[in-house]
Amino acid sequence: MGKAELKVPGGKLLRASSMVKDGRIVEVKLTGDFFMHPEEAIDELERQLRDVQLNEVAIRRAVEAFFLSVAPTVLGAAPQDFSEVVLRSVSA
Amino acid sequence: MSVEWRLLDLMVADCYTQMAIDEAIAYARGKGEAPPTLRLYRWKPSAVSMGYFQSVDEEVNLEACKRLGVDVIRRITGGGAVFHDYDGEITYSLIAEEKNPLIPYDINESYKVICGGIIEAIRLLGLTAEFKPINDIIAGGRKISGNAQTRRYGSILQHGTVLVDFDVRTMFTVLKVSREKISDKAIKQVEDRVTTIRKELGRHVNFEEVRDALISGFETKLNINLVSGQLSKTEEELLEKFKQKYASLEWVYRR
Repeated sequence: MGKAELKVPGGKLLRASSMVKDGRIVEVKLTGDFFMHPEEAIDELERQLRDVQLNEVAIRRAVEAFFLSVAPTVLGAAPQDFSEVVLRSVSA
Repeated sequence: MSVEWRLLDLMVADCYTQMAIDEAIAYARGKGEAPPTLRLYRWKPSAVSMGYFQSVDEEVNLEACKRLGVDVIRRITGGGAVFHDYDGEITYSLIAEEKNPLIPYDINESYKVICGGIIEAIRLLGLTAEFKPINDIIAGGRKISGNAQTRRYGSILQHGTVLVDFDVRTMFTVLKVSREKISDKAIKQVEDRVTTIRKELGRHVNFEEVRDALISGFETKLNINLVSGQLSKTEEELLEKFKQKYASLEWVYRR
């Protein structure tokens, strides 16, 4: 289990716990004191990160694709912060 | 001419009831079955509420909560974990339809407007406070109120705290405070980051004074007329349903 946290300057705290196997993400849990509307969108982000290859490009693309398709309103963090904390957790 | 809103006056109940009432009203308001509402309440027993996205294990010292008789609940709103001290806090919640003309549709803007009611209340008590984005109110540079909002069922639900007094020791015992979060604010002592109405005024202020100020503050800033009411039968039924959710381990351990 890889864990990482990221305090967004002027924003909120993001944490990621990830499980990886055979070069792919098995599961990521994203937690923290940010706001995402609708709240349930976080489940979709975690779902879209499953099976994603363990490299920076693939992870950033998965996160960006989620923000484009679901378009949640997030307060206290930006899409790249989610990518960053996931990346940190898989390399932790 | 101000619009009439319902006031559900200072109510003391456990965390499951309080959170269930907030959600029941939001649900009913979305269906047009409840009026826009301002609630004031206190948590008995004292409780820790964590934000929708937070993990219990990361935020809460469950063993300490159990030992001290502090309840633990997950909110439907995001934001951080809060220790709601029965002796130190008044909580408010504001529920309106999402398209209410008095509340901006934009979430950041709506925080500012709703928090305006609290800032006015604090002013009426003799203090100066200001909104600090994203969701805080500060007095003398220190946090005095934290707020959290959701949009659900076609409603806006914002609830938040007004600190009257502060039990740092218990807060540190029941919450796991992130070291990174503290260091980011470049201040180590929590007393330097958080303040209370009593501390700022330097005198004893009772809950009724704060309650009165909050009612006037919201009336003035939102241009509404708060009229005491009670929960409808529909809301009472809904709240029982939501209460079961909030008390379930599945919900508390959801993240």
